[in-house]
Amino acid sequence: MQINYKLQDKFDLSIFIPVIFLIIIGLMAVYSSTVNHPIATGNFQKQLSWAIVSLVAFFVVYSIPQQLFKMLAVPSFIISLVLLVVVLFAGKTVYGSKSWMSIGPFGFQPSEFAKLGMILCLSHWLTYKNRDINNIKDIGIALAIGFIPIMLILLEPDTGTAIVFMIITLSLIYWSGISLFGLFVVLSPGIVIIASLFGTAPFIIALLLILVALILFKKDLFNSTTVFVMNLGASFFFDYIFRFLKPHQQKRIESFLDPAMDPLGSGYNALQAKLAIGSGGFTGKGFLQGNQTQLRFIPEQWTDFIYCVVGEEFGFIGSLFVLILFLIIFIRLLNITNFAKDRFSVLTIVGILSLLFSHFAINIGMNVGITPVIGLPLPFLSYGGSSLLVNMIMIGIVLNIYRNRKMHT
Amino acid sequence: MNDTYFGSLFRRRIIFIVIVGFVAVIFFQLFSMQILDQPAYSTKADENSVKPIYQNAPRGVLFDRNMQVMVGNKPSFTLRIIPADYDQKLTPFLEAILGVSDGYIGRILKQNEQFSKYIPRRIAKDVNFKVIAWYEENSSKLPGVDYIIETQRDYSFGVMGSHMFGYSKEISSSMLQHRRDEYSMGDEIGSSGIEKTYENLLRGQKGIQYVLVDSHQKTIGKYRNGKEDKTAIKGYDLVLTIDKDAQMVAENAFKDMRGALVAIEPSTGEILAFISAPEFNLQDFASVTSNEIWNMLNANEEKPMFNRATMSIYSPGSTFKMISALAALEEGIIDTNYKVHCRGGFQFGDRFFKCLHVHGSVNVTTAIEKSCNTFFYHLVLKIGLDKWAEYSAKFGFGQKSGIDIPEETAGLLPTRKYYDRVFGINRYPKGILVSLGIGQGELSVTPLQLAQYAALFANYGKSAKPHFLHGYIETETGKYTEVVPKTYDINVKSESFDVVRDAMYKVVNGAGTARNIRLPDIHIAGKTGTSQNPHGNDHAVFIAFAPYENPKIAIAVIVENVGFGSVFAAPIARDVIKAYLQKGNTKQLKQSDYLSELKKTKEEKIAN
Repeated sequence: MQINYKLQDKFDLSIFIPVIFLIIIGLMAVYSSTVNHPIATGNFQKQLSWAIVSLVAFFVVYSIPQQLFKMLAVPSFIISLVLLVVVLFAGKTVYGSKSWMSIGPFGFQPSEFAKLGMILCLSHWLTYKNRDINNIKDIGIALAIGFIPIMLILLEPDTGTAIVFMIITLSLIYWSGISLFGLFVVLSPGIVIIASLFGTAPFIIALLLILVALILFKKDLFNSTTVFVMNLGASFFFDYIFRFLKPHQQKRIESFLDPAMDPLGSGYNALQAKLAIGSGGFTGKGFLQGNQTQLRFIPEQWTDFIYCVVGEEFGFIGSLFVLILFLIIFIRLLNITNFAKDRFSVLTIVGILSLLFSHFAINIGMNVGITPVIGLPLPFLSYGGSSLLVNMIMIGIVLNIYRNRKMHT
Repeated sequence: MNDTYFGSLFRRRIIFIVIVGFVAVIFFQLFSMQILDQPAYSTKADENSVKPIYQNAPRGVLFDRNMQVMVGNKPSFTLRIIPADYDQKLTPFLEAILGVSDGYIGRILKQNEQFSKYIPRRIAKDVNFKVIAWYEENSSKLPGVDYIIETQRDYSFGVMGSHMFGYSKEISSSMLQHRRDEYSMGDEIGSSGIEKTYENLLRGQKGIQYVLVDSHQKTIGKYRNGKEDKTAIKGYDLVLTIDKDAQMVAENAFKDMRGALVAIEPSTGEILAFISAPEFNLQDFASVTSNEIWNMLNANEEKPMFNRATMSIYSPGSTFKMISALAALEEGIIDTNYKVHCRGGFQFGDRFFKCLHVHGSVNVTTAIEKSCNTFFYHLVLKIGLDKWAEYSAKFGFGQKSGIDIPEETAGLLPTRKYYDRVFGINRYPKGILVSLGIGQGELSVTPLQLAQYAALFANYGKSAKPHFLHGYIETETGKYTEVVPKTYDINVKSESFDVVRDAMYKVVNGAGTARNIRLPDIHIAGKTGTSQNPHGNDHAVFIAFAPYENPKIAIAVIVENVGFGSVFAAPIARDVIKAYLQKGNTKQLKQSDYLSELKKTKEEKIAN
């Protein structure tokens, strides 16, 4: 084996450099959208300090022994759950979600940290000896690890984050090699529940379709019946919980299915975001020159609509640059799964990848007007301290795994 | 092979395809928006931008207890500048038209430099209609200037009430930092008195109009035909406990005097009249308050901005004698047979404490009736400092009453702890206690505390926190919500109260110090006092309640620098009592009365 002292060997610049670029672009966009704002002018300085804190956190996480992640998996998940429960009682409501907690002068969102806890814990559980992801009991436990935080987050209610958790859970189960039938078992209750929200007829149709699918899978009677009863149970259980929710929480879930229900909230923002991006043109209107941004047509642009600041002021070139930086990060993350030392590390990376990608897809999709408006920050760019911190910790984990990768000859 | 061990190649490929596929979709969407449709989006962005225009909500009206308007609203014109479009060359011209000093507009623009240049700045409020007419004719030559119609406070309803109503001001940038969720630049916020305490009820909800504007910020139409607009919701109207007639009589009486008056409904704590004189004109604060007015008010030696009724502290003088009397009776230290011989004063150690007259042999009733100091010099020594302070505290002295305006001071009730701190443990000169017995010395009280004290005598020790708010009317529903404060009882026997109340009755209706204000039909009970003033002439103090048989009003009056209480303070109290009681409007108000009255006032308003 040859010892190589090149930096690239210990430190993956192909992820780190794009991330730094994204943070810098994010800072510029936050500055542009808040500099003239009467109440948000301090946000740039705050974000800058968070960026520095996050970088420090990144290097700390990068340098710690890799075994720590496995050891911290279960405790961090349990702490996350406790925090998610506490926030429901003691949290502060921001933009309609009771998702913020304050410790002294600092505020943070427990759901951000819960993402990390959930990824580590589920990865850890899935890599235990003798796990069979196609065994109904094991699937059930895997789903429970994912869905307990989801239920808690739905109560806040923070639909966007709950969706991200679902995508992470499904991605990890998918990667673990679930069979087509297993995937069907996992997804079918969700389909039935969503159908039941639309009324009785769609609910019955969905149940019938599942019956047909079960027959086509040609499993034995016991398995088929179990799955069917599970579906039925899930939908009634959901209905039961749904009735316990407060009216605004029910509305929140309903408006997730039909975003047009809140026209000014989402319609207005979506229209303004499209105008900002579209009018940016090829080269953009220039830094601090975007009149959509500077006239503040888009409320709270520095959080969920940060991408249209880039689109308006830096144009197609700028938006494409951001897109490519993300693409590099995603492809590289997928690539690093080849080198990781163990299955736990691979699953952790897959979890992180699915988290970053779902944020990216939902946020940018909403900015360019191809997905419904769901409030989720764009990783590394959007204003928000705990989100940036957790994202940088995750990049730290990935690079730590890379540092300790399998050696090739 | 390094792919199959921890995950299948096939599954990895699917993820790869999802990522690249999604990025490709975004790429094409960006390409079509920013390259292909860019001209269309640009025109739309320039011409078809939606801009929210905020309309301030009128503040709630302040009614008196009989639904008479005391503070209302009136429309006014506000001239604004939008710096982005404004031409600095216009400044001298505008300043001349508005009649403001040179550099005024420049100053306002400079002050708000940190805000976006697209936000309009209010440069003049309450602008004369002639100026608006002139603007309408010349608006094309005045880029970046516009005007809006806003409402401002209207105080033309016959009451001043400057200290209780208070005023609102444009929110300061430092305050804006803390309340960024609720307020924005240029918003008004209650900054003193009732306007401040009930800001959340009074402010209402801003309206939003979404309009389409072009790149020059010219309005070209409504967004979605105004479907998303929200109309401004006026703030909640407050029904105050004030009786407008009594208030006007009191204000009138204080026209050329300094001092304070507080009248309270004894059983409920409702404040019926509230004066701090001299007053200032709230109308000066209704729009932009000019520096000249601020300077004038602050430089005025009479301190008109100072709320004397709750912030100023006075010695209560002889009005405080009832504390010693009640404490001694309640504790069984004396009864009505206990007598002191007054030879015109009291020798204590090497000091001689004077009495105004030689009263001869007096019991507690006569001592209060004739305000004999000698009796109380003796009595307070018998009671001792601790009992005296305990009973004083029961009546609320030395504590804030919790009245619903922010300006209030606790005054000073000296206790053993206090004197131990000042003189060292147990070393205070006992002569101090002698002074306290007749309400002089370190003891200092507010007129509000004295009124609360009178109310407690009126109602045998049972009352409620003094307050201005009777209830409020929700604008959206018209629902009236009554605010009922908790009542309390200081737990003193009614027999003790009877003796002191009887003496207070004789002060006015016997041979007492305030017999000059006796009325044939209303029996007033009261007590005069003289508040020693080291800085000038003494202040006249008078507290009273009436009718003696079934008290409906308790009152405290202080007139500064005029000497003895019965001459100046007592007649004012009598006039206010008369004004309040003779109208026969002392009935307890009911919600249904309010609603029918409210309907009437609304109809009248529409008719006008």
